[in-house]
This record gives sequence, C-alpha cells and structure tokens, in this order.
Amino acid sequence: MKKKKMLLSAETMDISFVRKVEALSGTSVRRCFQCGKCSAGCPMATFMEHPPNRVVRLLQLGQWQRILAGRSIWYCASCETCSTRCPNKVHLASIMDALRKLSWDAEGPSKESYVQLANKLFLQNIRTYGRQYEMRLAAVFNVKSGQFLKDLMLGPKLITKGKLKMFHQKNKNMTEIEKIFSRIEEMRKNGEAL
Amino acid sequence: MTPKNALRYAYYPGCSLHASAGEYDLSTRELFKKLNIGLTEVPDWFCCGATPAHNVDELLSLSLCAKNLELAEQVEGDLAVACAACFSRLKTTQHILSESEFKRQQVEKAIDAPVPLNGNVKHLLDILARDLGLKRLGQAVTKPLSGLKVACYYGCLLTRPTDVPNLDCVEAPTIMEDVLQAVGAETVAWSHRLECCGANFTLSRPGVVVQLSHAILDSAKAAGADCIMVACPLCHGNLDIRQKEIEGVYGTHYAMPVFYITQLVGLAAGLKADKLGLDALIVNPMPLLKEKQLI
Repeated sequence: MKKKKMLLSAETMDISFVRKVEALSGTSVRRCFQCGKCSAGCPMATFMEHPPNRVVRLLQLGQWQRILAGRSIWYCASCETCSTRCPNKVHLASIMDALRKLSWDAEGPSKESYVQLANKLFLQNIRTYGRQYEMRLAAVFNVKSGQFLKDLMLGPKLITKGKLKMFHQKNKNMTEIEKIFSRIEEMRKNGEAL
Repeated sequence: MTPKNALRYAYYPGCSLHASAGEYDLSTRELFKKLNIGLTEVPDWFCCGATPAHNVDELLSLSLCAKNLELAEQVEGDLAVACAACFSRLKTTQHILSESEFKRQQVEKAIDAPVPLNGNVKHLLDILARDLGLKRLGQAVTKPLSGLKVACYYGCLLTRPTDVPNLDCVEAPTIMEDVLQAVGAETVAWSHRLECCGANFTLSRPGVVVQLSHAILDSAKAAGADCIMVACPLCHGNLDIRQKEIEGVYGTHYAMPVFYITQLVGLAAGLKADKLGLDALIVNPMPLLKEKQLI
C-alpha cells in the first residue's frame, strides 16, 4: 500500500490546536530539535505507530489529527523517561496528558478503547467509593470489554492470598469527593476551567 | 512513652495497600513499630487518582491530591507514602501548584480549601535512609541478610519527574542499595532497575506487561540475583502475580521471589514471617529464605 503523502499548507496545518496543547501542558513543542532521545528511551515506543519524537514533530507541523486517530497517546505508560531525558526540557509526558485530555473531551476518535475504558472505570470508582477496589475494577472491566475469561485463572489464587477483597467500606466523607467532582464540572460548564 | 524527638509521620497507604498489596501495608506498620517510628493513618483519605486521572483530567488529578494533602494536615508529622505512584502524584501536585498561581486557584476552588504546599511528602525509603539514617538502621539489625543477592528495582516513578525535588538521582539512584547494604544484603548491578514494568496496563493491555516485565525478570536473573526488591505495589503485581504467566509465554523458569522493601528490612530487624505477610507473595519465598538460613 502506498503511504499517504503529507501535504503541508495553511489548510492542512492546524496550529490553534497545538497552542491549546502547549497551554495545557505548560511546555513548548517548538523547543524540540528532533534528537530522538525520548523515543530511544521509551519503553512503549515499540507499541506505538508514532513514537514520541514523531508525536512532537507532527504537532510542530500542525498534524494533530494523525496523532489522535492512532493509538500512540493511549499506549504511553506515563513513566516520564522522555521528560527526564529531553535535552531541551520539552515535557513530553505532559504533552501526552494534554493530548489525551483533548481527545477524551472530544470523545476520542482513537482506535484504542481498552485503555480508555479502564481509565473511565477507574475514575468512576473514585467518584462512587472514594478509593479503588481492584476486584470490582477488574470484574467490571472484563464485563464491559467483553473479555469474560481474562485473568480468570489468577482470581482464586489472589482471593486465597487475601489480595482481592470481596467487600469494601465507603469513606465516611463521601460527600466531599462528590463535591470535588461536581465543582469541577460546574467550573467547566461556566468556562472557568479547561 | 515516646520521647519528644521520636520520629512521627502521617501515613498515606494508598488504595493498593488496602487490597492487593496488603502485605506491604502490614510489613510497613510492623517494621515502623519495631523501629519506634510513629505512623498515624490519615483519616478518610481518598484515592490520589493515580495515572488514569492525570492521563485525561489534570484538574481532577491535582484536586484529588490536594484534598489528600489537606486531609493529611490533621495528623502531626511529615506525610509518609508507601506507593511510588501516590508518592509521585502528591509530589508533582505540590510542585505544579507552587509554580502556577492559576492552577492553584482553580484547585482551591474545586476543593473549597487552601492547599497546604509546604508539608513534606516522603517515601518510606527516604524515612529509612535519611530520617532514621543508615547507621541507626544498621544498629536495629538482629539478623543480617548475609548471602542474599538482591536486585533493587526502582521502576519509573520513585525518582521521577526530574523537575520535582525528589528522592534520589533520577538516572543513577542508590538509595535502595544503600538501605539493603545497611541491613547486610548483597545488591547486584543490573541493567533494568529503572525500566518500566508496564504499570497500569495490567488491567487494559496485559500483553504489554508480560513483554516489559519479562525483560526485567530476565535481566535480574542474568545478573545473578536471588530475588527482586520493590517499593511499589504496581511493580510488585506485575513482577510477582504475573510471573507464572510470563514464564509460560516465554518458556522460561525464574521462581524469583519479589519482596517489598519493608519485608526484607523487617526480616533483618528480626520480625517473623507472619508479621511481614510473606505468605501473601505469589512466588513462594520460603525455599530461598530457608536456603539462606534467614527463616
């Protein structure tokens, strides 16, 4: 299959989105000179169609749709090796956070659904219970992702070792956590927060 | 009665320590009791949001951590954190909010309270190596871990990110090795001590974890280690709980016990196996500990 050529013109380069990424992440993509150190150290680069340095290059060229359409941002492990080793202080881990947030808010055009589902359930658990309950998280994930048998063999062993709790208590101050979630929603509705 | 200058901390265990990493919680409490270090759990703490929160919603992530910092103010002492991920998130939140006035105002509005930014957040390693000190730690040893070759595994988040004043050198830390040598163990030099284990992909994409953790186990074995030591419940889950699966996929055999730091230090301080939750480990550590006459 022939690779689609990237045509650069005022029409195909969307810099306003890139400015949003820069504002959210507090880092400038223009500082990157493509040394590739981020991709060299990235433990997840082999799973990505665009390795970290190319993500920054595509942003420099205003080609963010290509990034969001792929899996790369969801396959970042947030290990922060890239940010640590960048000679130009591009905080790539924060850029990845910003890209994920913008993609998430736009209800993700990405093909990667499992990681997004896991994130969603994780945050729902915090809102409902205040803390993570791994048993519940894993069970609901398996049901919602249709992988009923995933890690089933691990279950009994983890239960006998006391590693999966069947029951859990809610925090006493649950109203406070609900307030945090709803205040943030309110702030976003009023345009006070991104 | 505890003397006035005794070490005392507010304790933030984090969600995993109340579930899949119960042995980390147990061994931490028992070890600190043995070392006369006071730990008081922060009442009604919340999840720090971990990776999923900052992945998609920075404001929520910062607010959850800020709320926990606020709750921790009720308890006297610096905040002691056991989990590497919670530690990194709480430190990062303090850093971001002290750098950005705008973000601090937003977070204060979200939690409806001022964020305490000056409290010290410390990982357990920091407390053992610096607050207590290696010398006093060495004096507490009743059963040196002689002959035990340990691969100290830092993982990603214990020393990162680099712009936050942190635990140790970001590329070549030695704090784990220092602690273990102080209790008489031998530490091996190996290549994968700072590599990622796959972290929370254990839920969404376990294949990633199998591949990355395999490289870590392989490297530790090649370096001649008897066991691996970690200070993070996620690293532990990936290397210990998934070890059998990894052996199956790659046709290898490791039988490499993975200990929490507090379990090994606790052993050296003379604590019994049941106080350290050694029976909760999936890869059975007893044959190794018996062979080295440590139990």
